[in-house]
Amino acid sequence: MKTTLKSALRDYSMLLALAAIWAFFGLEHPVFLSSRNLSLLLIELSITASLALGMLLVLLPAQIDLAAGSGVGLAGAVAAVLVFNHGTPALLALLVATAACVVVWASMGALIVGQRIPAFIITLGGLLVFKGVHWLVIKGQTVPVSEGGKNNAYSLLTTYYLPPLAGFALGALVIAGFAFFTLRARARRAAYGFGVPDKERTFMTLFIAGQLIFLLLIVTNQYRGLPLPALILGALALAVYVLTAHTPFGRYLYAIGSNEEAALISGVPIQRTVIVAFALMGAIVALTGFMQTAYAGASTSTVGSLMELDAVAACVIGGTSLRGGRGTVTGVLFGALIMASLLNGMTLMAVSPEIKFIARGVVLALAVWVDVKLNSD
Amino acid sequence: MSLSASPTPVLATRELVKRFPGVTALGGVSFELLPGEVHALCGENGAGKSTLIKLLSGIHPFGSYEGSLFAAGREVRFSSTRDAEAAGIAVIYQELALVPEMTVAENLCLGHAPLRHGLIDWDRVYADAARVLEMAKIALDPTAEVRKLGVAERQLVEIAKALSKNPKVLILDEPTAALSEDEVRRLLDVVRDLRARGIAAIYISHKFDEVFRIADRITVLRDGKSITTLETKNTTADEVIRHMVGRPITELFPRRASTPGEVLLSVSGLSVSETRAQAPRLREVSFEVRAGEVLGIGGLMGAGRTELLLHLFGAWGWRIAGKVKLAEISLDSPTPHRALAAGLALVSEDRKRYGLFLESAIGFNLSLSSLSRLARRGLLDEDAEVARSRALFDSLRVKAPGLETTVRTLSGGNQQKIVIGKALMTEPKVLLLDEPTRGIDVGAKLEVYELVNRLCSEGKAIVLVSSELPELIGMSDRIVMLSEGKIGGTFSRAEATQERLLSAALGRTGAPQKQAELS
Repeated sequence: MKTTLKSALRDYSMLLALAAIWAFFGLEHPVFLSSRNLSLLLIELSITASLALGMLLVLLPAQIDLAAGSGVGLAGAVAAVLVFNHGTPALLALLVATAACVVVWASMGALIVGQRIPAFIITLGGLLVFKGVHWLVIKGQTVPVSEGGKNNAYSLLTTYYLPPLAGFALGALVIAGFAFFTLRARARRAAYGFGVPDKERTFMTLFIAGQLIFLLLIVTNQYRGLPLPALILGALALAVYVLTAHTPFGRYLYAIGSNEEAALISGVPIQRTVIVAFALMGAIVALTGFMQTAYAGASTSTVGSLMELDAVAACVIGGTSLRGGRGTVTGVLFGALIMASLLNGMTLMAVSPEIKFIARGVVLALAVWVDVKLNSD
Repeated sequence: MSLSASPTPVLATRELVKRFPGVTALGGVSFELLPGEVHALCGENGAGKSTLIKLLSGIHPFGSYEGSLFAAGREVRFSSTRDAEAAGIAVIYQELALVPEMTVAENLCLGHAPLRHGLIDWDRVYADAARVLEMAKIALDPTAEVRKLGVAERQLVEIAKALSKNPKVLILDEPTAALSEDEVRRLLDVVRDLRARGIAAIYISHKFDEVFRIADRITVLRDGKSITTLETKNTTADEVIRHMVGRPITELFPRRASTPGEVLLSVSGLSVSETRAQAPRLREVSFEVRAGEVLGIGGLMGAGRTELLLHLFGAWGWRIAGKVKLAEISLDSPTPHRALAAGLALVSEDRKRYGLFLESAIGFNLSLSSLSRLARRGLLDEDAEVARSRALFDSLRVKAPGLETTVRTLSGGNQQKIVIGKALMTEPKVLLLDEPTRGIDVGAKLEVYELVNRLCSEGKAIVLVSSELPELIGMSDRIVMLSEGKIGGTFSRAEATQERLLSAALGRTGAPQKQAELS
């Protein structure tokens, strides 16, 4: 009896925490639940969650990336300077900055596994170096992402909204696809002789997921439609999910994090896997950097500050182990939603920055403590 | 001629029995340590020497064993190492327990530093250290940092540390394993000197020449039992070896002879050091293994058996010289990834550390080494993965609910089957098995042996490392004995006897019988 209560708490602790946060902000400040704010929250979630998904890729093999936040600022700055100061076409600027990030992060990965320098140190160095380079690049100025308030591909990242009809069409497609793959996976598991959830439960899951997507579309359509970052996050989450759950590369990430020595003896290409994980992190840092800078409207010296810690927090709250080998995409998305909701709500309530920092820290420590408590036997 | 004529033993055991789950480590050990004698304990790996020491030193407390311990004629019941120390027993373990960053003197007073007004009295620390070293006739500077000392000098610091507790009995567990001949002499001198001052010692060593140089008496352990106690001056190394080996080999080992095919693995002139610019740990090792053949590799602890396998597999060492060929493929700078691709698989001796992902499912473990073959256009072909894993799961007769069971919940034997299954899924030509039956029960052992037979009949070549001589003799077609990184002897199945193998492992050239014929 006690164990079932405990496992239920463990399974639903994040959901409960999320409900509590939303109830608190909703009651204290009804604007929190307005369609406009929820649309903005969705954009903020997309940015936080994207970086957290990248962080998942490096945490799984028991690495860490402390340079992610600085990288976010730097990638956004490089693209902004190319667009605003040099008149480079926005798409090209984004591509150049992305390529640069991939190369830099892959190099950090190579240093970590090739020279056996801990990721903590290499990326801590990266944090400081990229911060400095970021400030050099913008020369202490504020660099807008587009000239004269016009739209370009860069600024559209966070200002484009999918029209309602297209949103519903896409939603229907997503629900159909989700149902198809869920049912297929269930049938295959049954064919393998593995345990499967009973039919009612599967149906309920599909039903609730469908309802949530529908609700999301209704709410966002009341404002301007589905924001582009939500689409980006959707695509990214799908990609990271497939990568971690259905490819050899993903298995290797878990294996390295669970037992690196056994992974080596099992023939896992450890160096290549970790370097690729960091290269992917580089691409995701760039993508997050563009979204975050575009959301701010311009590159300033504070863009990206401490975002690496929010990303780590989202992962950990979502059940990812800092020792590697444990963590899922859904968990990370939940964790990011909790962090984003917290920040958004506090901003809405005009909580002072001091208190915001303290609250974020307390929530992180609390989440890990609860996780440890619930997972201990 | 009365009993009281012989002196009371400083330490004695009577019918000690120590059981671990599934294993009886000691099955009746009785021996007596007389005042002022050096008493050697000899036995094969796993004969029970380490367990006996752990009982004598209080690591396995009273209540966890049967039988009795006596110190100075009285029965003692140690509930901790502290009790054993209080009774005058000091142990110097194989793994040294010194703090390298501290000086000799600091190490000597670690945990009980003399205080003055609540602060450490450094003058006394150094004075005390100097006195202890002087007493033991150990010429060491008390202010020297331990990390700058050699292994032998550290060993001496350990002895000084033990002496600072005024022990009546000193237990030395393989004290010379890492020492050069010169250092050994120094250590033996110190032990002799202590004996002259009435401190009795239990001396454990695989090295017979040392045992015969230092010991007054020798007690032989075999299969957890004390077999006999011999006066050193009335015995020979051959007699001791005979007692260590003892039993005849029964047909526990179902090795079926097979006709060897072409050479699958050839190793020639292999010399390997741990890292670049270190002394070689393997020296000019050469051998061949053919299809359908089991090559056994034996040797004492530290002889380089595991290192050899790990190096062939690309997971250890710096190759100084030598060639390794697998079928027609040269393995010059192997990594485990490349070795597996070439058709070489390894089942490691330490399955929990190097073999398993304990928190993951059986299926995850089984397929991990074969994922690149199971992927199509980058995605895992999960139908194929499950089919292959299921086939191995069934053919290895893993006792578990299914592929999704967490590996941690399995018994040792079933865990070992998972490690072997992971290697087999890669469809290797040559399989390296390092202690494949360590820590598993008899039934599971038999299944491993039968599997070895089956793999041989399928034309695979197998290299079997084992520290159990009967297993080596019972399961191998040919046996290579390693002795301190070199090949100490190669034996066919017909030639192999435990006496000959042990002699080769001890680096004594030729088999005892041959020596007898020569003399």
